[in-house]
This record gives sequence, structure tokens and C-alpha cells, in this order.
Amino acid sequence: MDLSVDLGGLVIDKPVIAASGTFGYGREYSRAGSIDWFGGVTVKGTTLMPRHGNPPLRVYETSAGLLNSIGLQNPGARAVIECEIPWLSQFGVPIIVNISADSYSEFSELARMFADCPEVSALEVNVSCPNVDSGGMAFGTSPGACYRATKAVRRYWSKPLIVKLTPNVTNISEIAKAAVEAGADSLSLINTLVGMAIDVDAKRPVLGNITGGLSGPCIKPVALRCVWEVSQAVPIPVIGMGGIFSARDALEFIMAGASAVAIGTALLVDPYAPKTIVEGISSYCESHEIDSLSSIRGIAWK
Amino acid sequence: MSEVEIFDANARVISVSKCQGNVYKAILGAPEVASHAKPMQFVDILVRESFDPLLRRPFSLSGIEPSEGTIEITWAVVGKGTEVMTRWQTNQRVRVLGPLGNGLDGEFFEVADRLILIAGGTGFAPLFPVAKTARHFDIDTTVLYGAKSLDLIMDTQPLERIGCKVHIATEDGSQGRKGLVTDLLRTEIDISTNKKEDKRQVLSVACGPQPMLAAVKSQLSDTNISLYVSLEQRMACGYGLCQGCVVKSTQPEDGYYRVCTDGPVFPASKVDLERE
Repeated sequence: MDLSVDLGGLVIDKPVIAASGTFGYGREYSRAGSIDWFGGVTVKGTTLMPRHGNPPLRVYETSAGLLNSIGLQNPGARAVIECEIPWLSQFGVPIIVNISADSYSEFSELARMFADCPEVSALEVNVSCPNVDSGGMAFGTSPGACYRATKAVRRYWSKPLIVKLTPNVTNISEIAKAAVEAGADSLSLINTLVGMAIDVDAKRPVLGNITGGLSGPCIKPVALRCVWEVSQAVPIPVIGMGGIFSARDALEFIMAGASAVAIGTALLVDPYAPKTIVEGISSYCESHEIDSLSSIRGIAWK
Repeated sequence: MSEVEIFDANARVISVSKCQGNVYKAILGAPEVASHAKPMQFVDILVRESFDPLLRRPFSLSGIEPSEGTIEITWAVVGKGTEVMTRWQTNQRVRVLGPLGNGLDGEFFEVADRLILIAGGTGFAPLFPVAKTARHFDIDTTVLYGAKSLDLIMDTQPLERIGCKVHIATEDGSQGRKGLVTDLLRTEIDISTNKKEDKRQVLSVACGPQPMLAAVKSQLSDTNISLYVSLEQRMACGYGLCQGCVVKSTQPEDGYYRVCTDGPVFPASKVDLERE
């Protein structure tokens, strides 16, 4: 059946996307899974200059969750454009590049660079990374900063523009509206929740960077509430994510108002997750005689 | 490195047995993994279908039997995941992702004239497939094995049977020499120096706790013995996606390496082992 969705000009043939930071640039994933199981792929958060990332320990499992503090390790935009995107484009799956910056002018510079890269279908503006000292989440915690960051990209980027929001705010809908005003075509939410863990034997924080981002099934109820709220507050499509491990999880997000979903932590456990989830959504629709996902999108709003 | 496919095998538990102390081993039927695995590669296991634990757990292969279609893993119970595994039932199915990591390929064994394997604690287990392949290539192989005490020593006879020289050190002197594996290594370096093995290619592989690896690295730094270390780190995915399981490079411009895909085996000179 036809599961295609239009995410503000970005049309994908399946409603499941690889979430940024859990897919690298696709090379490693392609050895274990198949890239065309996704409707679109979001590559690792990319910055203007290469970044080595944070000191170990970077990942730590908590109850039904994962704390991470990778710190945007990436080879920098130039290397991504020259080495990674051309390779990834051979699969014909829409490529979304997640971009992160320290300043508004850096966001503009990144937008200019990717504008010359026809293989990139959309940019996802990362105003929500909790693991870097400057920039990162700071752009996503005030409506004004979110507006300026989005605008800085919009000025040089005419193709679909997604803004990825953080749940670490008092009122996520306010931030969402600022992104819409600045010209975002769609929103993705949520990024990770800031958390930490302490090693009681060593008597100190477990993570090298002390705090990290919490993801996985434990954050799903929070993510779902954010999607339910934001999708009713803005007129543009929402990509829902946060602890999606099954088709039923994905359907919850769609019923909360998401047009598509992204999977992250599930990919780390199961390379086959996108295939299972797409098939599960499809068979749910068939057994419930649903012709189009739009007929159940936001059905739980009332 | 050649790009080999990674399998998500629906493996059958053939046996689970207790070795000594809190160390267990299991034999798993996973023909596709067994036929592609190299010594020092690892697998990432979903110990049960649940969110508790959530992530897979990585284990080095302590046995690779392509003709039987089996792999063996050996582990110490250190937390929930490893505890659940001790309760696996014969014939139950578990999902095994692998083979993962670089491992040691044919080239390594082709250049070695003599091999010194250095093990600490459960680090002994993954050296089995290395020793077996080395003996297959007729490489003169010595195994140096350090553990806390006799009751924690794993069975070394299979290695002796295939012609490895095995030397043991225990911290309390309950078996072999009293002391550390580094004491055994000192003797081995002296022998190597006296025999003027300059023209022979002597390689060594060490697997064990980080402080042991750091000590071995410094001991071998001014010898002509090339050292490879097999590293452990907390992992989320085990197959290169998340960049979580890193080790610092000795070259600042290289930043960090991923233990799961750039390793787990590294030339010791490339990695900074002075953690914390």
C-alpha cells in the first residue's frame, strides 16, 4: 500500500526515517541492514569544522534507556560533502543532513555549502544537541534564538528545512511556532532529554562529559506528549521520534499528530527495525482498512 | 579492511556451562557467523527480547568452529545482561549480531615467525582462536597468562595440546609463578634478546584489563616485539553507528577511534591506554 508522506516538500515513500546520530553516514549500517528500508536517512550531526567529540565514557545504559554524550564527533562539512554524501546518494533514498553550529553565521555558512550539494534533499537544523558547550541546545531553548538560527539557514537554503526541537524547555510549542515563523517546512521532535548517572563505587558521574542525552523507550511518553502538543499548535508537518521500537510505537506517534517517525536507539539494537516497523504499519493499515496515513494522523487529538 | 556482511543470526543455544568463579561459557549455533569470523572478532548479543536490558551485549569469540557451525563465548557475570545469560536454556534462540570488529586477518599470521599471547583474567578466552590459527600456520606460540589465583585459571590444556608453550602467573602464587603476567613477559623479553631474535618477526597480542595493557605496552616499547592490544569499552550498537565506544588516539589530530569498528584490535602504538 502507499505509505508515502509529504513533509513540507520532502516526499518520502515510507514514513520511517533514520534519526541523526544513530546512523553515522550510512556506511556501517549498510553492512548489517538495507538503506532502502528507510523513507529517508538523517546523517550524523555535521559541523563546519571537524570535531573529535567528548572524552569517554560516552554511552551508558539506564532503565529502558540510553545516556549518550558523543559531542558531535564528525569529519566536518567539507569532508561530508566530498566523501560521504556522494557515497550515500547511490541508494536513491532522500538524504537529510543534520547541521549544528556555534553561531548564526556558522549556520548560514553550512546552509550555503549544502545548497551546492544536489544530493541533499533536506537540512535538519539541530537547535537541540545537549552535549556541546557552545551553541547546540542553546539555540532551541528560547523562541528568539530558534527564530534566528532557522532564519540563518533559510536565507541560503531553498529546499525543505526541518528544525529539530529539544524537550528540555518549559513550553515546546512556543519554540515550534518561532521555527515556523522563521520559515521551517517541518519540525522533528524530540531530541534527547538531559540526564546523568552516577557510579556509586567510584563516587562520580559515569559519563566523561558528566551529563548526556537520554533516549530509548523510557522517553517515549514524553516524546509522544510533545508531538501531540506541537502538531496541534503549528500548521506544518511533524516528524515524531523518541523511543520508537515497534510499529505500534510508530502508530502512537502518528495518532498523536506526526506525519512520519524517526528511529534512533532502536537502530543501535536492531538493524532490521525500519523494515519491521514499516511492515507493521502497513499490515495495521490493511487490517484496519486504512487507505492513507493521513486518515489516522492526529486522530488522538480529540 | 574488506567490507564483509554482518549477520543478525537467530542463534541456537547449544550449551551453557560454568567454568570457574563467576565465569561461564556458551556454545551457540550460528553457522553464518562461524563461517565468516576471524580471531579476535566479537558478536553483539540480545540476551533476551525485552527492554531490560535494552542494548545488546558485546562478547569476544573464545571459539570459532566453521565446520560445526558454532561459536563459543566466555564471560564473567558483571551485571544484569551477563546474569540473564547464565540462565539460557538449551535450544532457546538468541539474536547474535556479527561477526563484528576488525579481528586478526591472514596477513597478521603470514608475517609472524613467533607469537607471544599475553592474557589477563578472562582476557585469556578470546586468545584461543588466535592460538589455534597461529599453530595452523605453524607459528612458534607462547601464551603468558596472569590471574588472581588458581581457582580463576581457565583450562590451558587445549592450548598445550596444539603445541603452545603456556606460562602462568598468579598474584597469590597458588599456581605457576607468583606475580603478574608482566613478570612472565620480562623473562620472555630476556629470552628473545639473548636468542638475538632480531631477524625473526616477533608479534604479540594482549587481552586483559586496561592497566595490564598499559603495563605491557610500556614493557615492550623499547623492544623489537610488535604489540597489538584488544580493547574493551562500553558499547551501544557494536557496529559503528553511534561512536560511543571510543578510545583516544596517541595522535591528537586523529581524536578518537571506535573500539567496535576501528578495533577491537589496535597496534598498541596507536592508542592511548593511560585512561583516567
